[in-house]
Amino acid sequence: MNFLAPAAAVLGLTLPAIVALYFLRIRRPTRIVPALNLWPDQIRDRQANVPWQRLRFSWLLLLQLLAAALLVAAAVQPVLSAGTSLARHSVVLLDVSASMQARDVQPSRLDEAKRQVGEIIDQMGPLDRMTLIAVGSVPRVVTSVVGDRESLRRAVSATGAGNGPADLSAALTLASGLIRPGDDAHAYLFSDGIVGPIRTDSANALPFQVDYRRIGVSGENVGLTSLVVRTGAQSRAAHLHLQNFGQQARSFSLEWRADGKLVDVLKLTLAGGQAQDLVLPVPTDATLVSAHIDPGDVFALDDTVVAVARAPRAFRVLLVTSGNVFLQQALSLRSDFEVDVVAPPDYKSSAQYALSIFDRYSPTTFPSGPFIVIASPAGSPLAGGPPIGIGRVRATDAGDPLLTNVDLQDVHIARSQDLNASKFGRTLITSLQTPLVLVRDEPFRQALFGFDLHDSDLPLRVAFPILVQNLSEWILPPSVPSHSFHPDEAVTIVPATGATSVTVVRPDGSRRSLAGSSVATFRDTGLMGLYTVEQAVSGKVEKSWFTVNLFSEQTSQLKPIERLTLPPSTNTTAAHAARRSELEIWPWIALVALSVVVVEWLAFHRGL
Amino acid sequence: MAALLDPQLLRRLEALALRVRRAVSGQIGGERRSTARGRSVEFADFRSYSPGDDFRLIDWNAYARLDRFMLRLFVAEQELPLSIFVDLSGSMDWGRPNKALTARRLAGAIAYVALTSLDRVRLTVFADGPTSGGAPYRGRHAVADLFSRLQSFPAGGPTDYSRLVWPIGKQRPGMTVLISDGLGESSIDPAIAALGRARQEGAVLQLLAPQEIAPDWTGDARLKDSETGLEREFTSTPVTQAAYLEKLAARTQEIERAAHRRGLRFARLSTDQPIDDMVLRTLRQLSLLS
Repeated sequence: MNFLAPAAAVLGLTLPAIVALYFLRIRRPTRIVPALNLWPDQIRDRQANVPWQRLRFSWLLLLQLLAAALLVAAAVQPVLSAGTSLARHSVVLLDVSASMQARDVQPSRLDEAKRQVGEIIDQMGPLDRMTLIAVGSVPRVVTSVVGDRESLRRAVSATGAGNGPADLSAALTLASGLIRPGDDAHAYLFSDGIVGPIRTDSANALPFQVDYRRIGVSGENVGLTSLVVRTGAQSRAAHLHLQNFGQQARSFSLEWRADGKLVDVLKLTLAGGQAQDLVLPVPTDATLVSAHIDPGDVFALDDTVVAVARAPRAFRVLLVTSGNVFLQQALSLRSDFEVDVVAPPDYKSSAQYALSIFDRYSPTTFPSGPFIVIASPAGSPLAGGPPIGIGRVRATDAGDPLLTNVDLQDVHIARSQDLNASKFGRTLITSLQTPLVLVRDEPFRQALFGFDLHDSDLPLRVAFPILVQNLSEWILPPSVPSHSFHPDEAVTIVPATGATSVTVVRPDGSRRSLAGSSVATFRDTGLMGLYTVEQAVSGKVEKSWFTVNLFSEQTSQLKPIERLTLPPSTNTTAAHAARRSELEIWPWIALVALSVVVVEWLAFHRGL
Repeated sequence: MAALLDPQLLRRLEALALRVRRAVSGQIGGERRSTARGRSVEFADFRSYSPGDDFRLIDWNAYARLDRFMLRLFVAEQELPLSIFVDLSGSMDWGRPNKALTARRLAGAIAYVALTSLDRVRLTVFADGPTSGGAPYRGRHAVADLFSRLQSFPAGGPTDYSRLVWPIGKQRPGMTVLISDGLGESSIDPAIAALGRARQEGAVLQLLAPQEIAPDWTGDARLKDSETGLEREFTSTPVTQAAYLEKLAARTQEIERAAHRRGLRFARLSTDQPIDDMVLRTLRQLSLLS
């Protein structure tokens, strides 16, 4: 508690003055009355005079002292210091990413963060409000502009950690959207600093200052960051990468299991910062392999990893071409593709194929399913305008997943159909003259090349097989993905031809049904472990699998970031925030003092 | 005399007379019905003639009818013995208007009514003891003397009602008016009881000043008893004033009950009430005068 006018405490001398007045005797005027015995024996001293007398108990004295004390208390203008460090609107960004489950602080980083948020809630004044945002892979507003402390405590308590990363950029953008212009806002980030990079779009000035409260103390952690099953010419093997992210050496056992059965136990010792790659055997009939570190450490999420050991289900692919060796070679890189090559005159139907590729050929009727059309002949439905010369080739969006690792820097194309007027879909690769490659998701994932591969040096570049791989995995994801997914990452599930139902069984046994007729995006991947996709095709259940593992060296690093580089703030009212959040209580004290004076007056007139 | 009562009031008082509920027996003739048989115009009874009787009282008409001498008896009209006890203690010398002065005027008015009706008036003033106001007064000519004596007694001293028991007890049956504030240290009950035993009818008139009926001051004071001189510090507040009024009402009620128990009339009078209103209205309502 602070005082705005401490000098007024001098008025406190009135208290001993009041007591002194009660010490003094009253000079009473003499009144003659006919009969003294009729008058009650009641006396009260209220006036000053000499000589001194013994202080007698008096309710009036108590009330007067109380009133005087309250008035003095009001005069010094006390202000409650509660909430002095808080702005009127506090935005709490609570990191609920996977790394917050680390137990280097007890009971966990998230619990410690929640405890600290609770302290801020305790400091809130009656007019303060708080917005709580859970910063996970998808930031979520838990409570918005709430002043009820009990509700806030409940909301904080109910907030749990996820297994995904923390998207701080999105959280800051979300928080900025909740602040109205002129709001006295201040943000608190409770995090270990292991967050995604701040994107440029959210690096613009924020309408509040962000106070980073670092949670966590240690980076000592051994984590399994990769597990891949490779099928070689003779056998299959699992490649496991593990690393000691801490500073101190650590010895542990690595348990290697296939379908839950222990296959091997390795005694390992890793020095601080040391990484190790292991090649582990995979039984031929195994569906799932897993590695586990024992004993565990402060971060359990990267102590166990799983991978699918099954060979992926084969897809039949039809390539209709008069001859394209580049394309054939590129398609053969997909081990799960069985490619049938037919000449255009021999083409009849695509019914039994999962993917059809028409190279410089257009069927009378395009199949109702995934396909790729390359340089559709003039006059066909998907043909573009007359060929035009092409200059520099570039990606429409460099960050497009379909162009991952596709380098178009040295690609040249002599000519291409004019696809400016095409309504096929979105442009993937373009030039100054015309779009070159178009893709679309609906009704099926399909691609349209406007140029003949032979009119380009693209097939001669390393970008070509990668582009074909990306497109084919986008159109026909392998039944066993070549990689593990991250928590909360979207998984594209392409139903098998003729599938009537698609169900995903999560690691905890819960089931999620998907629409069986079209490509589905499954986002409920918060749990880590093996996911089974069951598809009913012609009365039989076909199974495919994918896994979700942490596999994040950034997260397993675990060492809390000392200083976060955060966007600047446009809020210059922070200095005034503390002053405004002080609650002046002297009017209430003065009101109480007035009440006491009224009571004293009543008491006096009632002869107390 | 003129200073005590207004002549105009005296003229109006001449039309009044004391009102007694039962016949009284005086020592000499008067205008009151007496328990004795005597000369008056009011027939009382017949009795046979005995030698020595006044033959003027023989009813000759009865002799003619009965052939016997019958004597007509008439009610004797005698004087009414009125005793007035006036409290002139220290507590009566208080108030605006002064209670002692008002008591003198009230006693003078009652006495005047009695004297003009040929009643006999005995005056006694008292404080810590009774003081006779002289020989009984009778007749209009005694008014001046009585008024003079009334005004000659100074007020002061404590009140001792028990000292009134003896002078009251030696009175012949008649009427007594006791004028007092009833506020002394001692209880007035022995005096009222003595009135009952002495077969006195009459009234107890409690006379108070308006300042006692409704105290007009608040705050701190040193209270001094007007009779005993005792002092006490006091703070007057609404609560203490209420307690005082409660005690005063209790004292008044106590006197009234004692008076009614002995067949006496009672009235509480305030000195701010005009004396003619007090006599012509209040005392007539009290059936003390008619």
